[in-house]
Amino acid sequence: MTQYLLSVLFVLLLLPLNAAADLRVFSCEPEWGALVTELAGDHARVFTATTAQQDPHYIQARPSLIARMRRADLVVCTGAELEIGWLPVLMARGGNPGVKPGTDGYFEAAAFVPMLEVPQRLDRAEGDVHPNGNPHIQLDPRNIARIAPALSERLAKIDPENAADYRKRLEDFSQRWQSALQRWDTEAASLKGMPIVVHHKSWAYLNQWLGLKEIGTLEPKPGVPPSSSHLAELLETLKATPAKAVIRAPYQDPRASEWLSKQVPGLVMIEMPFTVGGNAQATDLFGLFDSSIALLKGAQP
Amino acid sequence: MNTDGLDLAILGPAFLAGLLVLSTHVPLGRQVLRRGIIFIDLAIAQIAGLGVLVAHAMSWEENALTMQITAFSAALLGALALYQCERRWPEILEAVIGTSFILAASAAILILANNPHGGEHLKDLLVGQVLWVDRDQLVPVAMLYALILSAWFGFGASHRTLLFYILFALAITASVQLVGVYLVFASLIIPALSVRRSGRYALFAAYLLGIASYAVGLTVSALLDLPAGAVIVWVLALFGVATSQLIARFTAVPAAVGEGAH
Repeated sequence: MTQYLLSVLFVLLLLPLNAAADLRVFSCEPEWGALVTELAGDHARVFTATTAQQDPHYIQARPSLIARMRRADLVVCTGAELEIGWLPVLMARGGNPGVKPGTDGYFEAAAFVPMLEVPQRLDRAEGDVHPNGNPHIQLDPRNIARIAPALSERLAKIDPENAADYRKRLEDFSQRWQSALQRWDTEAASLKGMPIVVHHKSWAYLNQWLGLKEIGTLEPKPGVPPSSSHLAELLETLKATPAKAVIRAPYQDPRASEWLSKQVPGLVMIEMPFTVGGNAQATDLFGLFDSSIALLKGAQP
Repeated sequence: MNTDGLDLAILGPAFLAGLLVLSTHVPLGRQVLRRGIIFIDLAIAQIAGLGVLVAHAMSWEENALTMQITAFSAALLGALALYQCERRWPEILEAVIGTSFILAASAAILILANNPHGGEHLKDLLVGQVLWVDRDQLVPVAMLYALILSAWFGFGASHRTLLFYILFALAITASVQLVGVYLVFASLIIPALSVRRSGRYALFAAYLLGIASYAVGLTVSALLDLPAGAVIVWVLALFGVATSQLIARFTAVPAAVGEGAH
């Protein structure tokens, strides 16, 4: 407790110094906070609304969320309706006209990448359908490469004084990212075609990038327990085409994958980082993909 | 500690929402406690949510107004059913209330199995978050509560069972959407529970306890940056225990003196 109070005091002492930072950035998810830090460095003070342990669809209202939203110069979110349950109401309460959607103060990452699983026709009966496609775009590092230049450009636009520095940082980041992409491609070559089961349909972009073969889903609709016929069907499918691993995000309940791994001998249960901060290795965007690939390779014989 | 959130623009609407909820829930809660039907608010809220899900499943036209109308109608139907139950089988009323809560909750899961989008509306109805309330939302609730309060104190609804059930259903359906099920339950039961022995000033003491708890709870949640609803629930409980201790001491002392004199 004393330690906690001391660290709180320490943070309070630092605040006036940090106030010199030029940009106050509100990031909806950890991956965009990490990207802003890469691209803006000391120029930005980043506040991240959700952690890797939280489902970004839902969020509890804390006073600091509204306070940060009120003072933000830039809001960086995934978009594609991922935050539809809380961002609009938070923006309404924040009352900050500078970061409304459509202004320069609002950056939607999903606008810069090709979306997967965009429904052909909109039908409520289809169930859990995102009309703009699957919003979990951060799991393909090529998407990060697409988003970074646009985000850097936006930073330069709202903070023109430091534009040259943002350009330099983007160049540096892009170079490191390209070489990491090459390294990951070699490392993950053996993962191509690896059959997996997913907890929920949040892995489409990772699957596409690495060529993983998604055989089934444990929980087809979020928050709704799977029916016994769905589970029986899944077990039947797994008999015909055995999967190597069942993967889930840190915020997803492990019970369903535990059940499945007991039913199917040899099936490895993996808790993937899913975003920055999702495990001890995923401290930044590079660590996120290093760790994801290492965990998946660990499930191979 | 974090002073960012200590901003009247952030905490003000939440505190007003709290005052509104307390205005009806403190007197209603005393009646709930007297009748021994503690879980009736959970049951009514869940039934209101179920009504909205049914409306979706039938794909009736959806907008905010129809959603509210279905929610209030479902809650009223549920309240009337429970009223009938109190008249016929008063001895098992609490068991029936508990059972209707889990029936409504399970029915929601069954309906959601075919229409997961309804789940968002169910969540909206049951998990109101006190910090995200804005002033526009408070106006209709304030008008409804003014009607409820005048019926309550004007017509002596505490003695009219049917009127109690109707007013209760209306009050709960509005408040869960503002502040969520946990805060509604806490605002109903804890003040009533803490002041049950304080005689004449009970209602006043219960109001005071509730108002102080919302004010302190919101401040603490801003300073420690914790979810506001859960913090207020705990502050209500702590202040409630302290209040009942205080009342016990004040009411016990004269009695002890009186005995000593003999």
